[in-house]
Amino acid sequence: MTLTNPDLPLNHQPGHIKHDGHNLTGFIIFLCSESIIFLAFFTGFALLKITAPEWLPEGVDGLETRMPLINTVILVSSSFVAYFAERYLHRENLWGFRAFWLLTMAMGSYFVYGQYVEWSELQFSISSGVFGGTFYLLTGFHGLHVITGILLMGLMLARSFKPNNYAKGDMGVTSVSLFWHFVDVIWIILYLLIYVWQRTT
Amino acid sequence: MTTTKYDPRILKTQHPVPGAPDNWKRFFTFNTDAKVIGIQYMGLALIFLLVGGLLAMVMRGELITPPADLVDPSVYNGLYTMHGTVMLFLFLFPVLNGFNNLLIPTMIGAPDMAFPKINAAAFWLVPVFAIVLLASFFVPGGPASSGWWSYPPVSIQNPLGHFINGQFLWILAVALSGVSSIMGAINFVTTIIRMRAPGMSYFRMPVFIWTAWAAQTLQLIGLPALTGGAIMLLFDLSFGTSFFRPEGGGDPVLYQHFFWFYSHPAVYVMVLPVFGIFSELITVYSRKPLFGYKFVALASFIITFLGLIVWVHHMFYSGTPQWMRNLFMVTTMLIAVPTGVKVFAWLGTLWGGKIRLSTPMLFVLGGLVNFIFGGITGVMLGTAPIDIHVGNTYFVVAHFHYIIFNTIGFGIFAGIYHWFPKFTGRMYYEGLGKVHFVLTFIGATLNWLPLHWAGLLGMPRRVASYDPEFAIWNVIASIGAFMLGVASIPFILNIVSSWARGPKAPANPWNAIGLEWLLPSPPPAENFEDDVPTVINEPYGYGLGKPLVEDQEFYVRRSMEA
Amino acid sequence: MTSTTPKPKKSLPLRLIIILITLVGLNLIVSIQIARWSLSWLPVAASTAAPYVDGLFSLEVGMGAFLFIGCVGFILWSVIINRADKYDESDGLPIEGNTKLEIIWTIIPFIIVMALAVYSIDINGKLDTLGPKNKYDVADEQSPQAVATLDELSEIGPIEVISRQWNWEFVYPNGVRSSELHLPINQRANFLLTSKDVIHSLYIPAFRLKQDIIPGSVISYSITPTREGRYRLRDAHFSGAYFSENQTHVIVQSEQNFESWLELTNSKPLVPGLSPGTVFYQKRLSKGNKGWATVPPAPPPMVNDPGNPEETHEA
Ligand code: HEA
Ligand code: HEA
Ligand code: CUA
Ligand SMILES: [Cu+2]
Repeated sequence: MTLTNPDLPLNHQPGHIKHDGHNLTGFIIFLCSESIIFLAFFTGFALLKITAPEWLPEGVDGLETRMPLINTVILVSSSFVAYFAERYLHRENLWGFRAFWLLTMAMGSYFVYGQYVEWSELQFSISSGVFGGTFYLLTGFHGLHVITGILLMGLMLARSFKPNNYAKGDMGVTSVSLFWHFVDVIWIILYLLIYVWQRTT
Repeated sequence: MTTTKYDPRILKTQHPVPGAPDNWKRFFTFNTDAKVIGIQYMGLALIFLLVGGLLAMVMRGELITPPADLVDPSVYNGLYTMHGTVMLFLFLFPVLNGFNNLLIPTMIGAPDMAFPKINAAAFWLVPVFAIVLLASFFVPGGPASSGWWSYPPVSIQNPLGHFINGQFLWILAVALSGVSSIMGAINFVTTIIRMRAPGMSYFRMPVFIWTAWAAQTLQLIGLPALTGGAIMLLFDLSFGTSFFRPEGGGDPVLYQHFFWFYSHPAVYVMVLPVFGIFSELITVYSRKPLFGYKFVALASFIITFLGLIVWVHHMFYSGTPQWMRNLFMVTTMLIAVPTGVKVFAWLGTLWGGKIRLSTPMLFVLGGLVNFIFGGITGVMLGTAPIDIHVGNTYFVVAHFHYIIFNTIGFGIFAGIYHWFPKFTGRMYYEGLGKVHFVLTFIGATLNWLPLHWAGLLGMPRRVASYDPEFAIWNVIASIGAFMLGVASIPFILNIVSSWARGPKAPANPWNAIGLEWLLPSPPPAENFEDDVPTVINEPYGYGLGKPLVEDQEFYVRRSMEA
Repeated sequence: MTSTTPKPKKSLPLRLIIILITLVGLNLIVSIQIARWSLSWLPVAASTAAPYVDGLFSLEVGMGAFLFIGCVGFILWSVIINRADKYDESDGLPIEGNTKLEIIWTIIPFIIVMALAVYSIDINGKLDTLGPKNKYDVADEQSPQAVATLDELSEIGPIEVISRQWNWEFVYPNGVRSSELHLPINQRANFLLTSKDVIHSLYIPAFRLKQDIIPGSVISYSITPTREGRYRLRDAHFSGAYFSENQTHVIVQSEQNFESWLELTNSKPLVPGLSPGTVFYQKRLSKGNKGWATVPPAPPPMVNDPGNPEETHEA
């Protein structure tokens, strides 16, 4: 049984909290959990839509689908752009990463802008029955996630300017792009539910 | 024999806050040490047990006579709503998170939680939403009073029309509680998956870890659904939507699905860790290995899975179509199977043991007896024809208090007594503990057994006044409830005085097997630090003569030297 | 950790087997007794549903009692026989498990609960009370009757059951309105359950029946009373401040009595019906409106027969 020399300084400072990174594990668990809220909203939407005696509020006869479709294409392609950004980071091409990352952010922002334009042109409000309520709830809650994603990407971008910060790859970037893909997949389901599935029997 | 490098000074080093363990001020700071957070959770939770208990005393005072004479019916409604909410969200979940914080890192040999800051933030959300919830007593119109279910349309009626009202604050508090629980759950699950001691494979984890993991998985899956429902409820209440409002085409029953999709699993979130506590304690105090350890461990996740697909048993009479009733009846009944596996395993563990009836073991056995009882009434509720008669009566209230207080409460008391020496470094007083047990057992039985008959005869729950034929059961129940109030006195006395000046606790007073018992009492800031033992055997090797870890004697000696 | 433990015995001694069989037999006798006794814990049985429910209940009580007594007996036995002596620090028999036993006690409960479930599904079918639930358009003031599905087997009805915060109103096909529910014995009655505000629940303990009433939907519901008498009918789903008071009676009568009541009541003028919440709310207002916020009670419905709330009920 060997004891360390009492004259040496402690090899381990007490009270510190930095241990191995488990951030990615934690973040994936978080995303799985988060997806259930959307699942809840989606099932709620579907059930309300199937069973409501009157679905569309008076004076509204459906949603315009073209603008949202363009928006969808942009949001979905931004996922691929984010993927390229990550690839650049892995190849330690920081500028490539920054360029593609910024492009992703721009596409996300365009999506939010498009959403804003759509909202402001609608003739119904959040209190127009279940139709209005679910529409604004779903798109609004998703929009909040897009905005969060853009802000997180901004944070990662800013951190990339710290010297050597991303030298060994970065869990933050992986997490955020994971989040971005998640937000995209949610949007696809949402688009199918709200815009494509318009007719009720 | 291998030698391990170790620096004895580490065990004596300062905790993150100077002066610990004697510096009690650390419990009032944003501390990131899981053991401090654990005690913070438990202390705060026990205070809210008193708050919830006090509300219950007023309720039982009201119910001791048939008419609504002690308080106005509207006040009674607020009281039981807040009683249920305080007990669940401010007592039970926090106290279990206290156990998680104390036990998960020490039992798996991790220095701390995976995300210590998130952990501390999760704890500090508790007083925040506690204040939000309790503040609702003082807003115009009083607190939420639509029951802890908050079913619309009652919950969205908002009689005074104020924006800030009791119901609003209630939803806010529950949502914050959800955020806190999710932060906790991510932490616990990540810690269990990633930070186990070398050699601790899944089938070498103590059963408490299994149950905590299974329970926290339920939180991660269920809570978001409740949060979704709560968001929609809030919009209906305050922003004029009509998700659950029939006037706008909404459906009140939809909310019930959101609510119970979480709140049924929530009952297993609450009971699973107590199954863990039972497993840990029955082995120690019978001095036997856990009978069928693997079955018991796996049964936790079977319960998790089944727990997610039974929620409609709370809605048998809500206009649920017959096929759905039948389907959910079958799934509900299935839960008795994995639960039975656990119960029988505990019984098997008692068989041929060397049973020691110290306070923790008394609470375990009392809790186990009550659980079997409450589980059987649960199965009766699970059969739809019976539920259609006794649903929403005191039979249900008696069923769930038999589990939630008479089982889970008992398990929590047992756990507190059992691990008290480990985490405070002091021994509790056995005599006071036994007084506490006897009073609690008699009080709990008097309180909840008679109310089954009131329910069978048709006494509805949530009433401030009732028909005189139910009076006799309620008188007995109220006497039992007041006895429970008295029972809290020896408990508080015991905890406070033994923590202040109880005899110093050795590292392993119960001669128990488990990593946490290889640490000094109380454990140092980062548990084993870098000298994490390597686990070489299954837990609970009582009488098998196999060491739990490599170099066992070394760790034992080390824990005693500190 | 160095204690020597005795080897587990290979076979059970005969004496133990006899004791065990006697104990199990005793348990069985006691449980059957409790199961019989349990029928007296329920209110009088006054509908066709009651015998089914009571039979199932008694069966479950018997099984539950057997399990409970068995388990608790086992615990007591172990605690008495296997108590450690005061200074005995040794370990118990190091049994780690027994796969055969584990499988047995997984399968037996599985069979028991599945048998119970199948039996209950069967009873569910026999009760045959719950008809379809149909949503109607509240905003458009659509009439619930327009969408309701009537029960073709029913012999009387449809009786509209209208629930409010906090009163009940029963409307008969001939237009009679009443605060109490009158039913002829042994005839299948069909109800259309609606609510004007929040969720209520129609609960008649003597009938063993309960059904939530969902605003925005109309639920078709049928029962057959089988015993003359006066029983409690109440709201069983929390519906706000005066929920406790939201109760009235159901009166099961012979066919002649029922018909004459219907005829007599038809000729009576409309008067304000039973509305217990109103009384309490007035009292509260007169005392300065103390207490926590509540919506005011709906005004009493105008009925031909306001009922007799003071009369006692059997169950
Ligand atoms: C907190 C913990 C907890 C636990 C663990 C349980 C466990 C169970 N509960 Fe309970 N329950 C609640 C808390 C809990 N419940 C609460 C809080 C409510 C009401 C909420 C509200 O309305 O406010 C409620 C309400 C409730 C209802 C709704 C009643 C109604 O509102 O009308 C039902 C119906 O099915 C039910 C069923 C069950 C079943 C089948 C189990 C099973 O898990 C029990 C399994 C256990 C056993 C069966 C015993 C041990 C097993 C054996 C010894 C094996 C052999 C057994 C057999 C063969 C039967 N519970
Ligand atoms: C963890 C959960 C938990 C716990 C521990 C308890 C514990 C108790 N509960 Fe319950 N209860 C619920 C959760 C819980 N409850 C829920 C969820 C509901 C449903 C709410 C709803 O319908 O919406 C409910 C509903 C409920 C009702 C039904 C109300 C109704 O439907 O009208 C009643 C009535 O008797 C009751 C009583 C009690 C009592 C007497 C205790 C006792 O066990 C309490 C014992 C504790 C103490 C006694 C603490 C110490 C007390 C003091 C220090 C004060 C000393 C004062 C005196 C002695 C006067 N509770
Ligand atoms: Cu200290 Cu790691
Ligand atoms: Cu449940």
